[in-house]
Amino acid sequence: MSDTVTTSPVLSITGLSKRFGGTQALRDVDLNIAQGEIHALVGPNGSGKSTLIKILAGYHQADAGAEARLDGEPFELGSDHDRLRFVHQELGLVGELSAMDNLALSRGFARSRLGNIRWREQEHRTVELVHRFGLDIDVRRPLVDATPVQRTVVAIAAALQGWEADQGLLVLDEPTAVLPPGEVGKLLDIVREVRRGGASVLYVSHRLDEIFQVADRVTVIRGGRRIATRPVQGLTPQSLASLMAGEATERSAERPKVSATSRSGESALEARELTGGPLRGLGFSLARGELLGIAGLAGSGHDVLPYVVTGAWPGDVQGQLRCPARSPEWSDASRAARLGIPLVPGDRAAHGVIADFSVAENLTLPLLSRLRTGRRLLDGRHEAALVDDWVERVGIRTAGRDAPITTLSGGNQQKVVMARCLALEPEVLVLCEPTAGVDIATRLQLYDLIKEQAAQGLGVIVSSSDVGDLLALCTRVLVLRDGQVVREIAGEAITEPTLVHAMEGTE
Amino acid sequence: MSTTAAGSTGPSVGEPTGAPPASPPTRQPLGRRALSGLSFTNIGAVYVWIVIIVVFSFWAPDTFPTWSTFQQVLNSNAVTGLMALSVVPPLAARVFDLSLAYTMSLSGVITAKVIVSTDIGAGGAIALAMGTALVIGVINGIVVVTLRVDSFIATLATGSLIQAFITMFTDGTSITGVKLLREPFASIGQKSAGGFTIPVLYLLVVAIALWFVLEHTATGRRLYATGFNSDAARLQGVPTDRLRFLTLVASSAIAGCAGVVFASQIGSGSPEAGTPYLLSSYAAAFVGATQLRAGRFNSWGTVIAVLLLGTGTVGLGLATSAQWAPSLFTGLVLIVALVVTGGRLGLRTRLTRRRAPSKEAT
Repeated sequence: MSDTVTTSPVLSITGLSKRFGGTQALRDVDLNIAQGEIHALVGPNGSGKSTLIKILAGYHQADAGAEARLDGEPFELGSDHDRLRFVHQELGLVGELSAMDNLALSRGFARSRLGNIRWREQEHRTVELVHRFGLDIDVRRPLVDATPVQRTVVAIAAALQGWEADQGLLVLDEPTAVLPPGEVGKLLDIVREVRRGGASVLYVSHRLDEIFQVADRVTVIRGGRRIATRPVQGLTPQSLASLMAGEATERSAERPKVSATSRSGESALEARELTGGPLRGLGFSLARGELLGIAGLAGSGHDVLPYVVTGAWPGDVQGQLRCPARSPEWSDASRAARLGIPLVPGDRAAHGVIADFSVAENLTLPLLSRLRTGRRLLDGRHEAALVDDWVERVGIRTAGRDAPITTLSGGNQQKVVMARCLALEPEVLVLCEPTAGVDIATRLQLYDLIKEQAAQGLGVIVSSSDVGDLLALCTRVLVLRDGQVVREIAGEAITEPTLVHAMEGTE
Repeated sequence: MSTTAAGSTGPSVGEPTGAPPASPPTRQPLGRRALSGLSFTNIGAVYVWIVIIVVFSFWAPDTFPTWSTFQQVLNSNAVTGLMALSVVPPLAARVFDLSLAYTMSLSGVITAKVIVSTDIGAGGAIALAMGTALVIGVINGIVVVTLRVDSFIATLATGSLIQAFITMFTDGTSITGVKLLREPFASIGQKSAGGFTIPVLYLLVVAIALWFVLEHTATGRRLYATGFNSDAARLQGVPTDRLRFLTLVASSAIAGCAGVVFASQIGSGSPEAGTPYLLSSYAAAFVGATQLRAGRFNSWGTVIAVLLLGTGTVGLGLATSAQWAPSLFTGLVLIVALVVTGGRLGLRTRLTRRRAPSKEAT
């Protein structure tokens, strides 16, 4: 698996730091990638992994003090260099165009002297490139018709164009995150093929099993620091997961108490046989006052469950849901919206807040029918009182209820979203990535708010890819893999190592 | 802007609520809040309007600054105003209705044809025309909302279909007849009091109704939410599809009214009555969206924009005989208004692909 690693590094970075406002995203990180090696970069969410890649790609500027060398030559981080190529997670392809057009977009069309495109030559060129990776697709068909793995391969082929003679470093940012489990192997073959051609690869991933299949060395970062760089051969999945997760004792002090109502076992929401998107026959039961965590890697379905349960998933859904407090009858999951379970969506900007609305308008959007006076008229005084009440209760820092929502910090916007869900006085609340883009101080306030509500009997589902959220909030965590619950962890057993091991399947 | 959050501080903060367009802007309700309501960013068009009035008063001192010019501006822009208001509800929900010019023509033609060639009478003819307009609205709604065709293209297509009906009815010539010039039909568009014709009153009524719905009802708030971020709105239980559908029906209904009123004004059913109103109504709605409630298509902003554009057009007509001047003026005002307000009317929801929540992840 891991070939002998030559000593001359193709890329070496020393002393890389990056600070965003009050957050130190990267602290004095070193990275060395040898000629012809597949070097994995791993770390939990928020570890600084993606910041590092973004600095390499030039989206962010590194703080002063970092030094980088490419092939031994001093190199300014973020500058465009022909020996450094990227395939980002979103692939950067135009789905409506063919493989041929997409390849030409990045490196230009084959053109005659008159400037018209020489289609035959262009097609020949494309076929040659994709065939190198054993990809057998019609290069003239729009890429939307291709499978996810075919698209990824086209993106890799597009990135590698022009490297036929002299190979450099290819950066693959979570290339398997959106692939179905069965197709990951094919992609790993392609990655090995790239190395066989003489290139080096920096392979960013969440999935430890892939790293053991494909990488020569691995660098682990956590909390913005480089924890270790090791040859993969000397590691086991367990020891690598432990490096990623850190010490087991770190967070145990914050363990939430199981509330009295939760112990009573009265259930607030039950689900069975949920199927839709990546979910495959998933079931669970949420007690009143319980804080139930949903964990999993990208593609496991942990980020889809919140949408399915609240009826917000746009695709087909099967299975049943039941809220015993409302009705003892099971209802079809495709009509989940009727249960009226509020959702704090994961993507706040796209699905949470309405940027052109004020704080008040955002807060009362789902409550408008309650604010009507006798006829259909909106009661302005009632609305103002309700908004002021919630601004105070949740501690939203705003210039006033009429301030545009965009003048608030991410954390305070999230409080608005949370407040409007709570104002509905629900039995169950579903949170998806509740602290994404929220500063640490506000994050703690949000935790307190959520726990306080649970103590009063609210059943809460927390889906998060940030292990910190689950550790701080949950009394029980369901770990998902391939759309099914593979592990249930409760109480004291919820620690970062157990969660990481369960998500990675390295127990 | 102190007047965000409609109704949160009681109705009509710093807005010329229902004030006849005649009142100069200095007669706004006074108070501390009104001061920011009087800022250039809030009611810039009103200041531009004043400047225009001053300029034309010097340019054509004998003909422009007169009471009859004022009456002329209002009388000749009432139908324009109705048409401009008809595009406000769809635009608030970020839906385009480009068929409404044809809807206006068709309702005028149907009314005229029925009155001239049957004995149903004006009431029945108008009911028939309005019924047709509503049917057009429903068809637009089905194509845009149910069949999910981009509204820009869909209403262009239905507009073409309506044009086919118009030509079928009229053979391309205006429908005329003595009955159209008689009572009761003639009074619908021509009755006047104090020098103002009755369509000015219609404009006022529709403007008040639209202002009320948009600013003081849950429906209005949900309509704006749909337009600004339909994904987020839908997750909050806003029936975005139903609202889009209703806006298309509403715009057809208002355009149908405008068609009937216009037919009565000119005493005939013209197959091309609506065509000139398409551009001017959108221009007024877009300029209007930069006023009072920056970034939101709103009723009074649109009325102000219609009067601003109308005054310029009438003034240019009095001051110069250049035929091209009014179009030049409309185009310039539209560009300047959108630039000055920083182009805040990003039509994101229409121009970008709708994102399903994290569906890409599968």
